[in-house]
Amino acid sequence: MSVTPALDLRGIEKSFGSVTVLHDVAFSAYPGEVTALVGDNGAGKTTLVKCIGGIHAFDAGEYRFEGRPVRIGSPREATRLGIEIVHQDLALCENLDIVQNLFLGRERRRGLTLDETAMEEMARSTLSGLAVRTMGSVRQRIATLSGGQRQTVAIARAVLWDSKVVILDEPAAALGIAQTQQVLEVVRRLADKGLAVVLISHNMNDVFAVSDRIAAMYLGRMVAQVRTSDVTHRQVVELITSGASGELGLRR
Amino acid sequence: MMKGGPSQEDIRRHNLGTLLRFVHLRGPASRATLAESLGLNRSTIMALTADLTAAGLVREELPRGPGRRAGRPSLVVRPESTRVYVLAFEVGVDRLVVARVGLGGVVLDRREGVRARGSDPAELLGVLVAGARALVRKAERDAVCVGATLGFPGTVRRSDDTIMFGPNLDVGELRLGDALSRRLGLGIPVSVCNDANLGALAEHERGAGVGCDNLIYLHGDVGVGGGIIAHGRLLGGDEGFGGEIGHMIINPGGRLCACGSKGCLEAEVGERTLLAHAGREESPDQPGRDAVRAVVAAADAGDIAAREALQRVGSWLGLGVANLVNVFNPGLVVFGGTLRDIYLGAAAQIRSVMATGALAAPRERVKLRTAALGDDTTLVGAAEFAFAEVLADPVQVLTRLRAPEAVP
Repeated sequence: MSVTPALDLRGIEKSFGSVTVLHDVAFSAYPGEVTALVGDNGAGKTTLVKCIGGIHAFDAGEYRFEGRPVRIGSPREATRLGIEIVHQDLALCENLDIVQNLFLGRERRRGLTLDETAMEEMARSTLSGLAVRTMGSVRQRIATLSGGQRQTVAIARAVLWDSKVVILDEPAAALGIAQTQQVLEVVRRLADKGLAVVLISHNMNDVFAVSDRIAAMYLGRMVAQVRTSDVTHRQVVELITSGASGELGLRR
Repeated sequence: MMKGGPSQEDIRRHNLGTLLRFVHLRGPASRATLAESLGLNRSTIMALTADLTAAGLVREELPRGPGRRAGRPSLVVRPESTRVYVLAFEVGVDRLVVARVGLGGVVLDRREGVRARGSDPAELLGVLVAGARALVRKAERDAVCVGATLGFPGTVRRSDDTIMFGPNLDVGELRLGDALSRRLGLGIPVSVCNDANLGALAEHERGAGVGCDNLIYLHGDVGVGGGIIAHGRLLGGDEGFGGEIGHMIINPGGRLCACGSKGCLEAEVGERTLLAHAGREESPDQPGRDAVRAVVAAADAGDIAAREALQRVGSWLGLGVANLVNVFNPGLVVFGGTLRDIYLGAAAQIRSVMATGALAAPRERVKLRTAALGDDTTLVGAAEFAFAEVLADPVQVLTRLRAPEAVP
C-alpha cells in the first residue's frame, strides 16, 4: 500500500509495574478509512488508545505520525498534531451549552472578549456537516440532548480543530438502535472526509458495517490487522477469543 | 455521413448545460469557483451566467455571510430553486409520494400518503393527479415545471415507458406516464422508471456514491430491486430492463418468488421472507418498512428468532453481493430502502459470506455503504431524471416550455 498511514505504531511496549499490558504492538490507521480496534475486555485496547493520545507514555517502541517519527509526552501534544479522542463517557459538561462545550478550554477570542459569533458559526457548520438530523439551537444545554445527540456533539468537538486522526471509544455503547445507526453514519462521514478514524467496538455488526480494516488485540498483543472485506465474522470472533484463526493471528 | 467538429452553438449549449449542472448538483458557487472547476475562462463564465440568468434559470448575488478574503467578492451563482421545478412521483407498495423539487435539488413541497395493500388500482391515478395539482397550485405564479418522472417498483420498457411487469403492485394501467400526463395537462410528458434504477441515480449524484462511477444500488421494499451505474451511467441493457438484481437466482429450487421462478434474491431476502423466518405475520395495517425495522430492533434487543432470521437473510444477501462484485467489480455497493436496516443488522454476516464467496481482487476495494438519502432515494432519483432534459440544453428547453403560455 503506497498510502502513508496517518498513524503508525511499531513495537509498542507498556507495563504498569510488573504487569505487561502491551507487548510488541504494531498499529496503523490510514486517512479516509475506518480502522476498527477489537479485542476482549482487558486485551489492551484502551491502554493503546491512551498511549496514542499521550495520556500514558509507552516504555519502548516507535510512534510515527504521517510518516514522521514523533514523541508525544502529553495529551496537549497529541491534540496539537491533530489526534483527538472521543472517550466513552464523552466528557461533556451538562450545565454548559453546545458551543461552550465544543470550545471548552480553547475559546476563540477577539480582543479581550470571546468571539461568540465566530464560535457559534463554526459550531453550526461543523454540526451540520456531521448530523444526520438537525440539532436545533447550538445554545441548548447538553442536559437537554439525547444520547445520540450528545455523541454527535462529542464527535464534533473532536473534528472542529482540523484534526487528522479521530479515535472513538465505544461510541455506540449505551445507545438505542436508531441512534446507533446515526452515529455509525457520522463515523462513516468522518472517514469519507479524509480523516483516519479508529473505532473501538464490541459489536461485530457495527464493526463490519462501517470499518475498512480490523485490528484485533489479544492479551496485550496485536494478533492481526486485516481488511474487513478479507475476513469473516467467525474469523474475527476467533481472533478476539483465542488470538488465532487459521492462517491469521498468533503462531502456536 | 460526414460531420465536422462541434459548432460554436453546440459548444455553447454544452457549456450552459455543464454550468447549470454544476450549480444544480453542487450548490451555489462563485464565478471564481466555477471558472476553476469547469476549466473555463472567467469571461466565458460571465457570458454563460448572463444567458442562464436571462432564461430565469440562475440568479447572481453577493455572497452571504462575512467575506473571508480581501478585495471585491466574486458574485455567487445560485439556481432559481423556486421558479424552475420538476414533479417527482414515487409509487411504492405501501406509500405514494408526490413532490415538487426545485432546481438545485431542493424539495419545495411534498404530499405523502399511505397506500393500503390491495387497494383499488383505479384510485391510484386519481390520488397522484390530485396530489400533483395541489403542489402545482402552490408554486409561484411565474414558476415553470420542466419535467416529471414517476418511480415504479417493476420493469419498465425504456422506448415507450410501458410498464411490463410489477409483481408486487397492480396499477391497472400499463401506460401510467401517458395517462398521468394527460390528466395533469401541464404540457409535459411524465416518464416512468424503475424505482431502484432511480435510486441508483440518486445515490450516484447526491448520496453515498458521489464521485464513484461504478456502483451498485440495492433497494429493498416488498421486493428487491437494483440499479447498476457503470462508467457513470445507468446500465439499462437492450430495452431498459437491466439491473433486476432481485431476480438473480441464487438458490436454485429455493423459495417461490412472485415472478414465478424459485430462489430469486428477492424471494430469499425480501420482506415476506424475513418476516416468515422471524415467525411474524404480515399485517395489512403495518407498512412493510416498519415491520422490517421491528425485526431488526428485536434482533438488537436479543430476540433469538429475529437474530436467526436476519442471519439467514444476511447470508443470502452476502451471496448476492459476492456475485455482483465478481461480475461488475463495483467500487461501491449501496443498500437502500429496507435493505439499509437489514444491512446494519446483519453486516457481519453479509461481509463474511462476501469475503468467502467473492474473488479476492474485486473484493479487496469494494465498499459497502448504506443509502445516504434514507427513504427518499426513489424520489430524489425521479427528480434528477426529470431534470435531465433541461440540464442537457437549458435555454432551448426553457424557451420552448415558456413559449405557449398554455399554463391555466
